[in-house]
Amino acid sequence: MKKDLSLKKTALRRELWTGMLLLVVAALTLEATSLIQYYFAQKSITEIASKRAEDNLENAKVDILNILNQVETAINNDIWMVRACIPIRDTIWKVAEHIVKENPAIVGSTVAFVPGYYKDRPLFSPYSFKNTETGEITHKSLAYEEYDYPTKQWFTEGLTHEDGFWSEPYLDVGGGDIMMTTFSMPVRDYEGTIAAVVTADISLGWLKSIFDDVIIYPESFSMLFSREGKIMISPVETLVMHNTIQEVSKQFKDTAAMKDFTEAVLSGKSGNLKVHGGKSFSNVYFAPIERTGWSMSIVIPNDQIMGDIRKHNRMVWLFQFVGLLMLLLILLAAHRNQKKYKKLSENEERMEQDLVIAREIQMSMIPKTFPPFPERKDIDLAAKIVPAKEVGGDLYDYFIKDEHLYFCIGDVSGKGVPASLVMAMTRSLFRAVSVHEKSPRHIVNAMNESLTDMNEQNFFVTFFCGVLDLSNGHLRYCNAGHNTPIILTDTVKKLPIVSNLPLGIIPDFDYQEQDTNIIYDDAMFLYTDGVTEAENVDHRLYGEKRMEDILHIRRSPQDHLKAVYDSVDVFVGEAPQSDDLTMLFIHFTNEALKNPSQWRLTLRNDIGQIDRLTEFIEMIAQKINLDPELAMSINLALEEAVTNVISYAYPEGTEGEIKVDAIVRKDSLRFTISDFGQEFDPTATPEVDTSLALEDRPIGGLGIHLVRKIMDRVSYKRQDDMNILTLTKTIREDNGSNN
Amino acid sequence: MEVIIEKNEDITTVKFIGRLDTPASQEVAKTLMPLERDANGTFILDCEELEYISSSGLRIFLSLRKAAAVKGGNVIVRNINNSIRNVFLMTGFLNLFEIE
Repeated sequence: MKKDLSLKKTALRRELWTGMLLLVVAALTLEATSLIQYYFAQKSITEIASKRAEDNLENAKVDILNILNQVETAINNDIWMVRACIPIRDTIWKVAEHIVKENPAIVGSTVAFVPGYYKDRPLFSPYSFKNTETGEITHKSLAYEEYDYPTKQWFTEGLTHEDGFWSEPYLDVGGGDIMMTTFSMPVRDYEGTIAAVVTADISLGWLKSIFDDVIIYPESFSMLFSREGKIMISPVETLVMHNTIQEVSKQFKDTAAMKDFTEAVLSGKSGNLKVHGGKSFSNVYFAPIERTGWSMSIVIPNDQIMGDIRKHNRMVWLFQFVGLLMLLLILLAAHRNQKKYKKLSENEERMEQDLVIAREIQMSMIPKTFPPFPERKDIDLAAKIVPAKEVGGDLYDYFIKDEHLYFCIGDVSGKGVPASLVMAMTRSLFRAVSVHEKSPRHIVNAMNESLTDMNEQNFFVTFFCGVLDLSNGHLRYCNAGHNTPIILTDTVKKLPIVSNLPLGIIPDFDYQEQDTNIIYDDAMFLYTDGVTEAENVDHRLYGEKRMEDILHIRRSPQDHLKAVYDSVDVFVGEAPQSDDLTMLFIHFTNEALKNPSQWRLTLRNDIGQIDRLTEFIEMIAQKINLDPELAMSINLALEEAVTNVISYAYPEGTEGEIKVDAIVRKDSLRFTISDFGQEFDPTATPEVDTSLALEDRPIGGLGIHLVRKIMDRVSYKRQDDMNILTLTKTIREDNGSNN
Repeated sequence: MEVIIEKNEDITTVKFIGRLDTPASQEVAKTLMPLERDANGTFILDCEELEYISSSGLRIFLSLRKAAAVKGGNVIVRNINNSIRNVFLMTGFLNLFEIE
């Protein structure tokens, strides 16, 4: 007896250790998923930073050019006056004064003549400048030997740049340490000879305020360099106008990057590069201002870009830690419970208790509040999961992010505890990957990658993932070998799918994504094979037909699931449930996406039904204000096409259905006529020759001729045992508004 | 759809009232069949109140026109509206019939 007890104790302890081991595995899985998440987040956040930097550079450039253009325009506007004054030398003084007086931005101006232009005055350059505080204008001549204006850059470059030249920035001598630049351009006399250079000096004090606005991150900063590399803007004020990029870049350790950077700045390139320093690096974005030869840069320390995401990641880790702690508590609680039950019951009972707890844990991973989004009017859904054993390998999940509904359903091969562990992993992966991905293809590819990596037990997961844009009904989806979902529009049919492969089989498998548009009142039913392969005592399967028949009647999502489940339950009867059963029903109720310009008519293959077709066309014509003559032509074409189908598609005496779908767009009307009859391509019939004489004219063949004449496009295809004839008529864009 | 046939010596006037679409044509073809038997006179097809015609209606017209041509008769189409004139144009019927 005593020995027995100690054996039980050992077993208990062993289980606790197994539990602990599982906990460690769970911790590792969580860690892996958060690493994946971190990687994607980092990628997208760097892209955002670079976009912001580029936008800011572009904005700064626009601001700068705006101001410089004003000065250029002012000088261009006054050129004629300079030219007119050339013959009367002394009036030139007035011209310089006028330029300074009339343009607030210009603080000084001269008209510097080409040496020897005036025979009696080898050098002549009257200069006017204003006191920026009092506005008082002073005049002086620049034609003195020590200054020697013909050697100055503004003069030599101004002579040769027909559309003007911006000088290197310089500090205003005597007027404080204001950064200045001079715009100069040549002036021709009436003979067409270059006589002088006219200039405008402007202060660049405003530059700093433009770059002060460029703050993307608290510790990012901007720089501006002149054509020759002189530092014009820098967070280190002492460098401004005193040093050049060539000098400063020598002080950095990352000489290679700084060399590239210096070269890019001096040659006026745009782009970005990384400069390493210390433990981290900075992203440097640069772009030129071609007009002045300047180069702007924005420097963002990488830590700044990653700051938020790191904070976020720390939070994720914290949550994970709390989650694991809770798991540990559950484990301990379970262990305690076990101890209690152990004393009272047999081994089997304890196992069951274990599984009940496991089931609770598993079920708590799946959203189960219905309706899940009571505050939303555009979407309603319901889901149900019934494991065959206490725990199962089926899963579903959904959530809304950025006005997109992400949803999935899946089925892990096998059942019971092993399947349930893979299920938990799959579901966590779905959440982790879809945080940063809008494309089901990318989500499924990433999940497959991870599951294949971890797959040593040769399990696989059939999986279907969809992302529905709630604002416009655009549904993107990707199927990984899962049962084809049913789409409920005005019919009940399978969603067209590419089946691809289940997850976990082939790494690098590129899953194909598909898409469709759904509108108001469309719905989708997703299920696992636990529904269709439910067996009754005679080993018969429930099948798709029974399921689809139930879906034909429209109910609320909850009622739909109940109806299907009840029907399976009745069918199965006394037989034990053989597989996990999961269903997800999504009802799209965005009223904004009612499609008022889409209609359908279903006809029997009876000539008498033509009257209904006529009513149908008349109804559409009225709805869209179609011109009566055009409506009649369209009616005629449709009647001919449908008569053809009634007469030829279905053999005499058999019943068949013909669907006429009309879609009205702004500039076109499109009709699709489809039937399940024998293959018949009306477009393959030969053209009727309408120029034949009476005796040669055949009686028939006019129907399809009229269809061709009236419609702008007629095309036929055979698809899924259906004849599909599409007729398109272009209508004037202003049709309707005029009538 | 209603068809009124009036015979006056060797001039037969057929008045069409309503829509001559596929279902209506089946009935009208039966009604007009006997006329083809002795089509040596003049037929006036009065379309003043014919609102619409489909290819099956055109077949009736063409069939009568052919019968008349063989028997030495004549077919005159009268008072067609614009839509029907357009259908006649698309099918080359304007050249086959005397239109008034």
